Amino acid sequence: MSLQIDFGIEGGLAAFPGLAKPLRIDCANLAKDEAGRIEALVRRADFFGRREPAHAAPLPDARTYTIGVDDGSQCRTLRLDEPIADDAMRALVAELREHALRLRRAGAR
Amino acid sequence: MRNGPAAPQRHRCGCRAIVPPELLRRIAQNGTKPQREAALATLATDHSLRFARATAQLTGGPPRRLALVAAEFVPRRTVFDAGHREALPGTPVRAEGQRAGRDTEVNEAYDGLGATFAFFADVYDRNSIDDAGMPLDASVHYSVRYDNAFWNGRQMVFGDGDGEIFNRFTASLDVIGHELAHGITADEANLAYLGQAGALNESISDVFGSLVKQYRLGQAAAEADWLIGEGLFTRRVKGVALRSMKAPGTAFDDPVLGKDDQPATMAGYVHTTADNGGVHTNSGIPNHAFYLAAVALGGNAWDVAGHVWYETLRDRHLRPNATFRQFAALTVRNAAQSFGAAAERAVATAWQDVGIDTSARSRRVPGRTAGRAPARRGRRGIA
Ligand SMILES: [Zn+2]
Repeated sequence: MSLQIDFGIEGGLAAFPGLAKPLRIDCANLAKDEAGRIEALVRRADFFGRREPAHAAPLPDARTYTIGVDDGSQCRTLRLDEPIADDAMRALVAELREHALRLRRAGAR
Repeated sequence: MRNGPAAPQRHRCGCRAIVPPELLRRIAQNGTKPQREAALATLATDHSLRFARATAQLTGGPPRRLALVAAEFVPRRTVFDAGHREALPGTPVRAEGQRAGRDTEVNEAYDGLGATFAFFADVYDRNSIDDAGMPLDASVHYSVRYDNAFWNGRQMVFGDGDGEIFNRFTASLDVIGHELAHGITADEANLAYLGQAGALNESISDVFGSLVKQYRLGQAAAEADWLIGEGLFTRRVKGVALRSMKAPGTAFDDPVLGKDDQPATMAGYVHTTADNGGVHTNSGIPNHAFYLAAVALGGNAWDVAGHVWYETLRDRHLRPNATFRQFAALTVRNAAQSFGAAAERAVATAWQDVGIDTSARSRRVPGRTAGRAPARRGRRGIA
């Protein structure tokens, strides 16, 4: 079963209402290599197994990312505050951000 | 009373007694007789010190005492290159006094920190973020295609932008001022980054960020663009800036980013859990109140409106969880105390126009009778 991912970006010095609304990224609709890359990043980040991220007092202008992943048998939503210390999670966020932007751009056309 | 006109002199180190001259000039013109006398005496001191400083610069031989004075006002900047990684601060690439190199982001950060430092020193007699000469550290080239800037509690961090939506974040002086002002707010008021206090925290950064730019450009309130982050967007984005203090809600309207949703008045207050309760959204309301007050007061926004906001930020009655109304009431009181009835009216009207009533009946200045005084704020108390 391919992954369905909801992704939203809150806050930041430049806080945008259009990016805060969670966007659905359905790996079934992506090219095979793209979907594979995202699925590998989700696995590498141990998205379902990892501990709940800690939330310290918010830093001014740091953003919060919401990532919800559904793999067909389980689903989990994590909220991550910048700066993200974990390399694998940061790589996942960067990848999702690019995809989300591309999808929003396509949807806006 | 810590900043009343009756005793405007502040002595912090025994070797200087410089107070904002604009404030003193007004007191000298409009205050009561004892206030006028105190202000005039201070103005004389102030002028002689400044004159001596200028003379010393010309003759190249400052007396020992003045050397100490001057040393107190020197910024200590270091710009670091994060090398597109996340470890902070990264490699130091330009320290205070070093010449400009080829890296645009490094030079812009260095100059922007200098302009912000100079603004707070010249206009508000403030010595850096903590008013005790704190070094100014900034990292550029943070992470990869990073489209943000933030204050991490110790230093400023700037991304290069992704090249699609954003250019480099050092390109806008008010953004550098905005981030540095977060440090000042944390030092003075420690406003919570949540709800109305968080929106005030954001607004104070926009206010002083914009004032840094206006001061640098020598623009009066009526001439300024009142935009935050002008020039950050690439040409692909339909918008002029991140925010507009003059007309909140009009800075951008883009198919991808959405439409600027900042309200200008309480009627549009956004109730949300996102972004710590919409701190970057509802900041439009106090932003607009500042703009209205500054334009009504006329002249340079940093002279009167800026002073009132700055004194409010340093007001010991400003609580970390302050509401818009509590902050507004303090600005009205500070306007009255420092600049008289006309300024009080202008500030109260500005808040009223954004839907916040600061009239005596509704005004409940927090802690007014409680006498709560955080110990560390005493350092700027009147000697
Ligand atoms: Zn901010």
